[in-house]
Amino acid sequence: MRRTTWAALALMLAIGLLILPASGLAADKQRIFDEAGLLSDSVRAELETLAASYSETHQTDFILYTTDREHSVDAERLTEDFYDERGPGYDKSFGNAAIMTIDMYTRDVYIAGFYRAKAYLDDARIQKVLDYVAPQLTNGDYAEAFRQFLERSDYYMSFEPGFNPDNILFKTWFQVAVSLALGALVVGVMAYRSGGRVTVNRQTYEDSATSGVLAHRDTYLRTTTTKTKIPKNNGGGGGGGGGVTRGGHSHSGGGRSF
Amino acid sequence: MPVVEYKCPNCGSGMNFDSASGMLSCPSCGRQDKIDDSSDPLLVQTFEEGEAVEYHCNSCGADIITEPETSATTCSFCGSAVVLADRLSGQLAPSKVIPFAISKQQAEQAFRKWCRGGLLTPRGFMTANRIKGITGIYVPFWLYELNNEIEVQGHGTKVRTYTRGEYRYTETQHYEVYRKIRLNYNKVPVDASEKMSDELMDRLEPFPYGQLKTFNSPYLAGYIAEKYSYDDKQLFPRVKDKIAPFINSYIQSTVGGYATVTYSRKDIDTRLRHADYALLPVWMVYYDYNKKGYTFAMNGQTGKVVGKPPISMGKVAAWFGGVSVVTLLALKTVSWAMGGGFL
Repeated sequence: MRRTTWAALALMLAIGLLILPASGLAADKQRIFDEAGLLSDSVRAELETLAASYSETHQTDFILYTTDREHSVDAERLTEDFYDERGPGYDKSFGNAAIMTIDMYTRDVYIAGFYRAKAYLDDARIQKVLDYVAPQLTNGDYAEAFRQFLERSDYYMSFEPGFNPDNILFKTWFQVAVSLALGALVVGVMAYRSGGRVTVNRQTYEDSATSGVLAHRDTYLRTTTTKTKIPKNNGGGGGGGGGVTRGGHSHSGGGRSF
Repeated sequence: MPVVEYKCPNCGSGMNFDSASGMLSCPSCGRQDKIDDSSDPLLVQTFEEGEAVEYHCNSCGADIITEPETSATTCSFCGSAVVLADRLSGQLAPSKVIPFAISKQQAEQAFRKWCRGGLLTPRGFMTANRIKGITGIYVPFWLYELNNEIEVQGHGTKVRTYTRGEYRYTETQHYEVYRKIRLNYNKVPVDASEKMSDELMDRLEPFPYGQLKTFNSPYLAGYIAEKYSYDDKQLFPRVKDKIAPFINSYIQSTVGGYATVTYSRKDIDTRLRHADYALLPVWMVYYDYNKKGYTFAMNGQTGKVVGKPPISMGKVAAWFGGVSVVTLLALKTVSWAMGGGFL
């Protein structure tokens, strides 16, 4: 009895050891590089799991990189160098990745998309993500900022590249409203026309030979001019677009100060 | 006795107007007489308006029972076409007529076809098997010739926008606009019958004025005709209302270059040059559906049908639902193809 138990345990351990490397590869992959120490261990573990599941959905690694070391470059350069040095990627080294860099030294945030993420998380969509992320950073809630980064990226990346995800066309209430309006319009026109239409116009009875403008006058009085400032798209400072890392990897991007 | 009948010179039967040939024809022996050539039998004698209180059929001697507006009908006993001459003479003499081009059978067929085309009409109505009556009526119309002197004054703006630097500029140029216009209208029809609904008659237009003929009473043979209830002076305000949108649209067309025009003065002086009393052909179709009577009118020349058919709530709901669902599916598919969720 005792021997069997030990044998069973040993067998399970052996199987476990065999399976562990295969399954552990994905789960153990590090996606959070909290060098500024903004997150507690438990929160970091929780966010790692979350990031892993979103990474699976979009075949893109969602990476958080925080730093507070002194430097003389901007957040974009930090992100590029991070990519060049560590070579992250879902599919391979230097592969699909979306990186959010929190630079505590200059208090800047920068989001970059590489390869698949460059197409699905383009500059415009990154700005939309930043709209959700930046307020959390200002509040100092870094975990929530990363959660927002994951959730909003997940939402926007579900749209094919090239479309504005916030387009009113994608809103169900708008689609329902348009459908109902068109239905009502079609029925209304049909009901209106069922009794016969008026088919005479102003020319039907007009005697064009003897009709016409006898005199006309167009006197110029004055010109008034008003000007309005064209609103800028980038708010909150920062901005910027994508670029190419020194390692030659092209990316989309956008940043803000917080 | 102020009753005129059209007897066939060959066989003595009553003759009727034939819409296919446009001639007075005898159903018994087939004789056809051109109407343009013959002098109107009405003009042989003169009658005083309101002379007779009762009319007797020349063929059978029966009383002809008519409404006070009727000027032509058929004898309800022997079926002869009769014209009540005193209601078409003197003040009441029409000057023009457009004869029927569509026969009763054609009118019925055309009406059935029109019913089948109704997208919202109930199924039972579409078969059009409950036509209660179909009557050819010459409806009295006034054809107005109107001269308008128009003077308008207003404020017009032209707007141009451009961007320079970080600003968008909107430049508005202001003008004082003045137009003096002469606008003449010919033969604007207004129905002069009290019984006919104005709304129905207005929609019957246009009548083909190429078919307009000098009035000759044989055209009425076999049809019902009415005399006018309102004279041209009484209906003048109505014709002014009728041409008002035409005039406004003409004024609008003369100020095309402006983005907006607000009028400070709009003087329209409409003068009545002349009004012709004309009888225009209309088929009236009376139809019973669901214990309710419906009246339709058909242009006796063009076959255009007007009148409010019953509307099936089921079909309205089906069309509304169908169009809405198809549109929603189309929109969803488009948004799905572009990456948006289907729900």
